[in-house]
Amino acid sequence: MPINRTNITQRPVMKTLRIYGFLLALLAVPACDTKVTNPGRFEDIDLNARTAEQAMVNGAGRALASGLNWLSYTGAAVSREIHPAGSTGSFGISTRWQNGELAADDGDLDPHWEQAQRARWIAEEAVRRIEAAGPPKAGESQTLVAYNNVRQLAYLYAGYANRVLGENMCEGTIDGGPKVAGAVFFTRAESLFTKAIGVTGGTPATIATQATAAYAGRAAVRVFLGKWTESVTDAGLVPIAFVQNIPYFNLGDDAQRNRIAWAIFNTPYRAHTQWSTWYYDYRTLTTDPRVPITITALLGDAAIECCGRVPFYPEAKFSTSASPMRLSSGREMRLIEAEAKLRNDDLSGAVTSMNLVRTAAGTTAITAATITDGWRLLKRERGIELWLEARRLGDMRRWKEGNTPGALDPLELPGASSHLTKQDLCFPISRSERETNPNFKI
Amino acid sequence: MRDAPFRRFTVPVLRWMRVCCALLLTATSLGAQTPTGTISGRVTGESNQPLVGAQVRLVGTGLGTLTGDNGRYTLVNVPVAQYRVRAQMLGHRPVERAISVIAGQPLAEDFVLRRQVLELDAMVVTGTAGAARQREVGNAVTQIDLSKVQEPPANVSALLQGRAPGMTVMPSSAGSGSGSMIRLRGNVSVAMSNQPLIYVDGVRLRSDGYQRNVPPTGSDLRSGNDVASPLNDINPNDIERVEIIKGAAAATLYGTEAAAGVIQIFTKSGHSGKPQWSVQVDQGFARALKFGPEPSTAPAGDSIPRAYRDSFPERFAGLPDRGVSRAGGTSSYLFIDPWLRNALQKRFSLSVGGGGEALRYFVSGTATDEDGVLPNDNEARKVVRGNFSFTPLANLLFTWNTSYTRDHISNTAAGNNAHGLTLNAFRRDRNYASNDRPEIVELLLKQELTSDIDHIITGGTMNWSPTSNLVNKFTVGYDLAQIANRNLRPFGFVSAPTGIISNRENSYQNLTFDYSGSYIRGLREGLRGTLSWGGQAVTTESRETSAYGENFPGPGNPTVSSAGTTLGFEERQRVVNAGVFAQTIFDLKNRYFLTLGARVDGNSAFGSKFGLQTYPKASLSWVASDESFWPSWNPEMKFRFALGQSGRAPGAFDAIRTWENPPSGWGGQPAFFPRSVGNPELGPERTTEIELGFDGALFGDRVSTSVTWYKRNIESALFNARQIPSLGFLNSQLQNVGTMASDGLEASVTGTLVRRKNFEWTVGGSLYTNQTKVKSLGGAADFSLGNFGWIMTGQSIPMIRTDFCVENPNQKVPATGLKIISPTAANPNACNFGPNLPTHTYGANTGFTLPLGIRFNARGEYLAGHYMYDGAAFNAVTRSVRWPGCYDFYTLQETGKAADATALQTARCTVAATKADYFIYPADFFKLRDISLAIPIAQRYVPGASSAFLTFAGHNIYKRVNKDFPVFDPETGNNGGFDSQVRSILEHVPPPATYTASLRVTF
Repeated sequence: MPINRTNITQRPVMKTLRIYGFLLALLAVPACDTKVTNPGRFEDIDLNARTAEQAMVNGAGRALASGLNWLSYTGAAVSREIHPAGSTGSFGISTRWQNGELAADDGDLDPHWEQAQRARWIAEEAVRRIEAAGPPKAGESQTLVAYNNVRQLAYLYAGYANRVLGENMCEGTIDGGPKVAGAVFFTRAESLFTKAIGVTGGTPATIATQATAAYAGRAAVRVFLGKWTESVTDAGLVPIAFVQNIPYFNLGDDAQRNRIAWAIFNTPYRAHTQWSTWYYDYRTLTTDPRVPITITALLGDAAIECCGRVPFYPEAKFSTSASPMRLSSGREMRLIEAEAKLRNDDLSGAVTSMNLVRTAAGTTAITAATITDGWRLLKRERGIELWLEARRLGDMRRWKEGNTPGALDPLELPGASSHLTKQDLCFPISRSERETNPNFKI
Repeated sequence: MRDAPFRRFTVPVLRWMRVCCALLLTATSLGAQTPTGTISGRVTGESNQPLVGAQVRLVGTGLGTLTGDNGRYTLVNVPVAQYRVRAQMLGHRPVERAISVIAGQPLAEDFVLRRQVLELDAMVVTGTAGAARQREVGNAVTQIDLSKVQEPPANVSALLQGRAPGMTVMPSSAGSGSGSMIRLRGNVSVAMSNQPLIYVDGVRLRSDGYQRNVPPTGSDLRSGNDVASPLNDINPNDIERVEIIKGAAAATLYGTEAAAGVIQIFTKSGHSGKPQWSVQVDQGFARALKFGPEPSTAPAGDSIPRAYRDSFPERFAGLPDRGVSRAGGTSSYLFIDPWLRNALQKRFSLSVGGGGEALRYFVSGTATDEDGVLPNDNEARKVVRGNFSFTPLANLLFTWNTSYTRDHISNTAAGNNAHGLTLNAFRRDRNYASNDRPEIVELLLKQELTSDIDHIITGGTMNWSPTSNLVNKFTVGYDLAQIANRNLRPFGFVSAPTGIISNRENSYQNLTFDYSGSYIRGLREGLRGTLSWGGQAVTTESRETSAYGENFPGPGNPTVSSAGTTLGFEERQRVVNAGVFAQTIFDLKNRYFLTLGARVDGNSAFGSKFGLQTYPKASLSWVASDESFWPSWNPEMKFRFALGQSGRAPGAFDAIRTWENPPSGWGGQPAFFPRSVGNPELGPERTTEIELGFDGALFGDRVSTSVTWYKRNIESALFNARQIPSLGFLNSQLQNVGTMASDGLEASVTGTLVRRKNFEWTVGGSLYTNQTKVKSLGGAADFSLGNFGWIMTGQSIPMIRTDFCVENPNQKVPATGLKIISPTAANPNACNFGPNLPTHTYGANTGFTLPLGIRFNARGEYLAGHYMYDGAAFNAVTRSVRWPGCYDFYTLQETGKAADATALQTARCTVAATKADYFIYPADFFKLRDISLAIPIAQRYVPGASSAFLTFAGHNIYKRVNKDFPVFDPETGNNGGFDSQVRSILEHVPPPATYTASLRVTF
């Protein structure tokens, strides 16, 4: 066989190339297998586990606290439950909000809508998943009692999240849908509270407490729905001492701190004051413990547009950044009863209901000579009782729309004394929603 | 915890060293059996100056060395034979000649290398498969030869600044350890990092900044608000050269992640011969340049009470009556000058290189101790390096390069930080203490911000050529960077009386496996083909473990455990990118080159339904000057064309729908929060780039020029699409929806105007343009990146746009009052200003070589066409701070001439009317990047030295900014560090000027 010289020189090369081909193939294996699972976050499917239900409802609770945090602070500035005193950025009150403006083109308002909507969505998502899971079957680690406890709490948070949206927004949307009237939130809240009331089979004390909260929540939303009879019936099931709080936490996490409190703790913010509010005047006259205010020699942390540097008299209702905020209370129920009585021209009954609240709060009784004065006092009493709890804007809007008698204090209405150039009573649908939701166009 | 990655590194290193030692012994014993000779000599330039770092090698063997600082080289133990010896160096024509080595006889061979501006036969390795000659490469490759850099750079970022057209390097503050933004041909992404990939001797390095020293929970502003860069952990004195490829056309073989370009750093290697020692001592200082108006421009009312001044006569001695603070600060420095200092900066470097034919080494150590201009700022960095190469066989070369950096950085609280010095000094008595007395402001200096960085970069490369036409290169590299950030506001701290502490420990690892092979074969007469293949796998991992505490029981030196409330955090992310490539080069007559190639990548961050990504490339190169029809004076000319693609991957979690437990859950209870919507079809953005270029040298190398036009198209661009809030997920979701484009021109020319025996004068200039445009948002709405940077169809990437702007801003306010306009559907661009990154960069340089070998160089840069937001000014004005940027307006007000103010002045400076939207400035500026004078010292003054130089240098010592840029400096950054998507200004002191005297002696 003749020697092929070309083959002699090429064979080693080809052999070498084959080796390299093999090495390259080895190298290509990781190129095709790049699957990596990173720890720390939870995949969506993991939340279908029964064991995840409580954490999901906790998430709804945290989101509700966060939503309230934003709405209560800015709403307080616009309704002059507080007066601006400085910062406009972090934990501050923007110039437009200082003037009473909650404008649709104000991107700084987006977190208010976003946080409140997230609270609603997480709670309702928790409800969806819990209902889809159904009661635990025999042999599952979750007990029926635990299931019912957490199911009722999910309904409760979902109800409150809708109530907060309804009280602060005039219009809205659900889950990326078209625009709806703000009353839709109240309708949903009423339904969710009703479901909460209907839950049985949990820990008796827990179920009873959560059901009482649901009655209180439903009574409040029925006020906005004009269902006064049903509202008073619900309110009557809530004892005057009952309180349903949403907690805040001083854990180093700013998002869980009570914003109204944190904004005045002088570390470094002194962003709002009670100077030039009617609450300050009222407190000076009555020493009502529901409106605690601290007098300091300091000024706010920056000059503000209306007034330059202003005295720093911080509220003391939220005495720490972990101070909880009330969602419902028996005292609020008595005020609902009082308002219902005023609507029926029952002045003495209304005053009696209001004095039940004042007595329980440890302050002096009031009297009213006329229905109009009764309304004025009721509006003042709700302001005092629900101070800084994200309720005032909704009340002011409701009374304005209902053309109810009884004037509000000039210090909480637009004018020279309040330094409000206008007063928007609704938070707008956020720019972020309008720009991303295909059902909306700016 | 922190030791584990080091063990993972040290175990294989020790094994590898054992293998190397065994091979070394074998090679030594084998070498002793063959008769050998020695070759030595000197390599000089045309003016008889020694050429440092020139390569001298015996062609066709693995034998070679580099010249030392005196230009001398020695090749020992050369087997007796006939050789061709070749001397070559970047920027010079190689010289090759035949020699005979005779046993026991030393052979002297000196070389004189003529300058060659166009280095067509210089080897480049970045973006090529293996290595290629410049003449073969169809894209622009910028090389920075450190032997030609006269001024002693403080760090690698400073070294790169203004060195190459198409490259923008911008720092962000005066803070010690602060890194710099690097952009190669502008932005390629609006969602992912735009920092280029960094390689050091083939080992992938982290390109992005370190973790900012800020607590993991609570306010994210309580910091120095700047970040350090891993790039600056490399000792610039260790660098031999840098190669830069600027875009997708050149970076295709790097695949996914390479769309922003690649910078590859090559460190020095040893040379055979006696050890060569080099010592360098740098002493200098940094000094802040003025960044506010002169006090004389302050309105008369801007003065502090006479009684107060009289109480502190020493503090106010020599200060004007107005434009000052109670602390004695002036408007020229926005009142922070009492705390600014001329910061002493010291650097000491020692290196030694040497070895034999089989084993060579380069070992170096550097220690720096640099104060910053702010009172708590200091950086103490130590870098040691060992580079070893081992040639057991003529066709086998192992190299192992390792560096270790230990960096300790102290910072002053700065940026938009209510607890920081800068913010509270700038705002004078309207600060958070309502007091600008020095003893009050100084209380903020008690916050301790320290960062300790440990960074090891190690990698080994094996080059094996089993036959003369087959080359293999295999690299294994490991980059481990760890930073421990400690942030302490002690018990009694003025703004956090019970104290707050955080410790964040971050580690970043890159593990690189890289193989390439090339086979060269003659196909027919004059036609040669080079087939290359290979693969690369890079695993990138980041880990963070952090702890937070607040409420100490009392004073003392606390740890997190001392706090009453403590929280812990952990985060881990790993991304694997792996790919294979193939490439072939057709070489016709050594002057026509066609390259075709492709890379296929997989990436763990791609969506589950995405699959693999393929990036093709093609390029042409024509060395026109090698054609025969040119006359004898023919210039050198090369025309080039390249087309290629590369990508940018999404982040580790972006493709997956996830939930998270937010910090501390809900009051310590676990709580689920929606995190990312997820997108199983998520893939990389894909950048296609085309570039056309010309390189030429005329008039006997006295004039050189390079021109490159490029155009890039970015498809499937990743946009952070906002989600519908009412669907619960508030975080944006990356989507491959956009299309963007950019184009530009890079041109440079260098000429030697005068060339005499003892005098030479060179001048150079460069132009770089970059125009970017968003072509499509894929149906998404315009969106903001923050700081008024917007992504809008038809506009630049990003466009600076506001919601409100002043009509006729430079005219007086109309009688009807300020007219404020906003974008509308009919006129969406009514408040567009311009791009955020420079669109035009002009460079200029000149150099003189004077008698006695004295050299003088100067380089400057003018960057233009961009705009930025000054948040610090707005933050101050809206809080009624008397702001120096409004002095002209205040003066008009005080003199009853407010009506003479322009509409823009009025809108900006009237507290009741001001909006952040009005603080957009044109950011054009010129800076004198470097000016230096190098003086050789006669050997008689430095006994035993082969060379010695004394260099005086200044960096950024002069600046001019646009007249409408009232305060700060366009190189001032925000809280995000150097790699912000949108550059803007917050309360920082701008980067300072530095002045250095350097003594370098080689023995």
